[in-house]
Amino acid sequence: MLEAFLFVGLPYTAVIICVAGSIYRFKTQPYSYSALSSQFLEGKKLMWGSVPWHLGITVVFLGHLAAFLAPDTWRLFLSSTHVLYTMEAIGLAAAILCALGLLVLILRRLTTANLQPVTTLMDLVVLFLLLIQVILGIMTAMSVRWGSLWSTETTTPYLWSLLTFRPDASFIAGMPLLVKAHLTGAWILLLSIPFSRLVHMFSLPLEYLFRPPQKVVWNAHPHHGSLKAAEDKEVTRRLFLKGAFGLTAGGVLLGIGVLDELYRFFRGPRLTQAEEADLLDVTQKRLKKNAEEKALELERLRDESIFVAKLSDLSPTKGKYFIDYQMRPALAFLGADGLPQLLSAKCTHLGCTVGSEVNAQGRLLCPCHVSFFDVTNGVPDAGSPAKDPLPKLGWVLVNEKGEIVLSRGPKGEVEGTLLGHEKETLSVHIAKRYVEALT
Amino acid sequence: MKTNTFSPPRHQVRQEFLTKKLFYLRDLKKRTYGFLLFFVPLVSWWFMVSPVLAYPDFQAFIKKNSGRSVDCAFCHANSNGPEGNGPGQIGSLTPEEFDRLNFARGAFDPGRNVNSPILNAFGNRVIRELGKKKFIEIKNHPADLAKALDPKVDLDGDGIPDVQEFLDGTHPLKNTDGDPGRLFLANFLKNHTQILLLLFATLFTLYGLNNLLRGFARFFEAEDGEGGR
Amino acid sequence: MTKLKGNDFIEKVRTEIDQRLPLDMLNLGDLMAHKEVPKHRMSWAYYLGGFTLFFFIVQVVTGLMLLFYYKPTVSEAHASVEYITHQVSAGALVRNMHTWASSLMILSILIHLITTFAMKAFEKPRELTWVTGVALLLITFTFGFTGYLLPWNQIAVNATKIGLQTIEQVGHYLPGDLATWPRHLREIIQGEASVGQSTLSRFYAIHVVVLPFLIFGLLGVHLLVVQLHGMSKGVDEPAKGQEKFFPFFILKDFSAWGIAFLALFLFALCLPFESFFPYPLFEPYDALGSTPEGIKPEWYFFFMYYPLELLPFWLVMLGVNGAMVVLLFAPWIFKGSSRKTLRFLAVLAALYLFVMTVFGDKIYHLVKGVGG
Repeated sequence: MLEAFLFVGLPYTAVIICVAGSIYRFKTQPYSYSALSSQFLEGKKLMWGSVPWHLGITVVFLGHLAAFLAPDTWRLFLSSTHVLYTMEAIGLAAAILCALGLLVLILRRLTTANLQPVTTLMDLVVLFLLLIQVILGIMTAMSVRWGSLWSTETTTPYLWSLLTFRPDASFIAGMPLLVKAHLTGAWILLLSIPFSRLVHMFSLPLEYLFRPPQKVVWNAHPHHGSLKAAEDKEVTRRLFLKGAFGLTAGGVLLGIGVLDELYRFFRGPRLTQAEEADLLDVTQKRLKKNAEEKALELERLRDESIFVAKLSDLSPTKGKYFIDYQMRPALAFLGADGLPQLLSAKCTHLGCTVGSEVNAQGRLLCPCHVSFFDVTNGVPDAGSPAKDPLPKLGWVLVNEKGEIVLSRGPKGEVEGTLLGHEKETLSVHIAKRYVEALT
Repeated sequence: MKTNTFSPPRHQVRQEFLTKKLFYLRDLKKRTYGFLLFFVPLVSWWFMVSPVLAYPDFQAFIKKNSGRSVDCAFCHANSNGPEGNGPGQIGSLTPEEFDRLNFARGAFDPGRNVNSPILNAFGNRVIRELGKKKFIEIKNHPADLAKALDPKVDLDGDGIPDVQEFLDGTHPLKNTDGDPGRLFLANFLKNHTQILLLLFATLFTLYGLNNLLRGFARFFEAEDGEGGR
Repeated sequence: MTKLKGNDFIEKVRTEIDQRLPLDMLNLGDLMAHKEVPKHRMSWAYYLGGFTLFFFIVQVVTGLMLLFYYKPTVSEAHASVEYITHQVSAGALVRNMHTWASSLMILSILIHLITTFAMKAFEKPRELTWVTGVALLLITFTFGFTGYLLPWNQIAVNATKIGLQTIEQVGHYLPGDLATWPRHLREIIQGEASVGQSTLSRFYAIHVVVLPFLIFGLLGVHLLVVQLHGMSKGVDEPAKGQEKFFPFFILKDFSAWGIAFLALFLFALCLPFESFFPYPLFEPYDALGSTPEGIKPEWYFFFMYYPLELLPFWLVMLGVNGAMVVLLFAPWIFKGSSRKTLRFLAVLAALYLFVMTVFGDKIYHLVKGVGG
């Protein structure tokens, strides 16, 4: 019952009273359609109260209007979170300005001696009603957040239903008390318009926005150069205000766009368990690869010789890959003389690993840019992109007891002999002493 | 004549001969079956396990078509290809991964849920959508891969469909890799609110700075005027 | 009373220093309120130093942010950069801004160099400005060279190796024992026999601490003397007018910065720099694997990279080092040159840099006859 009255009966009553009352007042007391400014009685506090109040309420009103007139477009506009934050921030800032302005105005009304004779009851009632309404609005924005979005689904269709004479309060039936109080306050303010100075809304001096700056200079107290000084002061103040506005607006937008991201940048990413697991898996694989490389490096630092293959396992046409003392890939073949032939497999062109198959012409192929190398001496064919030969590596043949039987350095110097040793028992190693020999 | 050899009666010899022949033939059959039983799996195992020859045709095509050089990581899990002992290569697979590999190798028809450990998400997608049989056919004219795949799928979400990335030579799983023009456009459309916000922020700040500095200048000027410099 | 003989000399030195370093101008009036900027056809060049400074500020800020997540070890450097790009909120944007701004900073410093040269801005009393400027140029290039190694991917490590090899090649031309000095120098720079963890650590220290210290000091001096002297006159003919430095010139300067920031942000947000290169170049460096093709130094080194591939080594080294010496001593070498001559030389240099940087690759292939 109360709901029906407050949200159907009251609105219509308020509108009728507002329209009828305003027309009546215009017809009978046209000159009362003014804000009844008391600027001449007290100007300073008025500036500090009226300017923030009017600035704020204009912004807030425009925001409410946008959601009312074009809810779908407004919703689309706010679909980006950055825009939503911006709009809500601007709205809240404007509302706070309203509240502060109203407080100043109220205090001014209550405490300034000059104003007491011209203050009516209605003035104070209106001021308090407005203050309450603004506070209710701020509380709504803080507790039932993102009103710019939910209003398009609830209050906007409700208001339109009233306008189209198909009142349907069910849209707002489930709304919290704060919202309902705010709505009720709006209707009460609406019906109080014809009885107060709020009628000045219908006679806004819009041309003031575009008029050149003016400053009142009393003729009774002429000051030489005061005109110029006054103009300077006015111009500089205007420039500073515009400057402050621009910087604040820019700063707010930048803040909204950037601060959020900056905070998250420095806070660090919050990964889900699955993402953390994936990341750790990748890291672990890389670390394992690194550990293996380091183990190879350690072997090459410590050991005087490193096993490559058994002599009997080597083939003249298919090389066996191994890593040499300088951590380069290398190939081991069986040479024509039955002895090992060890070549570096790092192509001398750009470092690709040379292939291990010897083709019909006795050549090894580096597949990256098609260089052919002679397997007997590592020399590249004419016309290959590689110009330098693949370095030959020195080797030692070791028997089962670990003694070096035969060795050949990279330049071909041979030490030892195979006589008296079974080839099947020998294994091929690379030797550290041959690394110093290479520069 | 007394001989020490025992010569069986003729019919017995023939019997023995026939029996031997029978057994021989039976043996031969057994041997053949045995041979087949052993060798065929061996051969097919060899085919399954042998290097499926990382298709350099595709690599060459991409290089020629787009001018960009690519490596095996375009489709494979390891940038050096599927052979070797590194991660994502055949030499380092666990038994479970081997099963997945064999399943993928046998996926001749499209639509199988392929998840080969030597292929990356794009490679798996290709086999899943085309099937191994069609893929081997396309190997001879690699340009057709772009026509055979679904043109709307974009695995890395960079705004450029995978088939376009194939033609451009940019990696379909890296969202920082793409044709610069296309990538710019896609990202611009994705981030337009940020850009708009920044534009307004800059314009406001410059407007504010403009007025602030002019205010200061006017202020100093006025000061100078009064001070009578 | 006779003056001591030394007094004249000291007086002379004093005046010379005073002219170069007019510290009496260090007051708000002279620095800001009364300073004026000449308006002529080369006035646009007055903004270039500011652009360089702006991009440097961007580098410092983004670099600081990257520093929070980067790990300078060979096993983790690449992974940490990937983490920044893919996991950290807005990490990709910060990294991209850092890379784009580095290229833009070097571009604006080169144009700044050419235009100040053409305007004979180094003429007395601005020699100190010029010399500090040349030092800043060298430091900026070193910033680029050291920073390039930090992501530890294929192109980073291999391009650094090739770059450092150039030093060692000088040894071929030195006699006797001196021939080994370049190799020792190279090993000192690398920290070990080949590019590895030691190199990464010291390049990191140089990029993040040593060079910033140096640049802050030199930049301080450079900016101080620019402000003390005011803008140089730039052209021979008298200026069409004077513009007040404060607020008009500064305003235009800041507006230009605002627009530059907008453009930088747009490109950093929408165009990852990696899209200009084949992706195998950005894979983690693999010491045991093969080198991908397409390894090149950064674009701002092309002016000496391609000549090194085409011309004899000694010729290019002579050319580059000669140019450095000429640049450093320009205020004295070109003391008597007219602005017309300097403009001619500047245009020549600009043309060479442009052609070699943009078309160097094509020229190389043309000369070598290698296709594609």
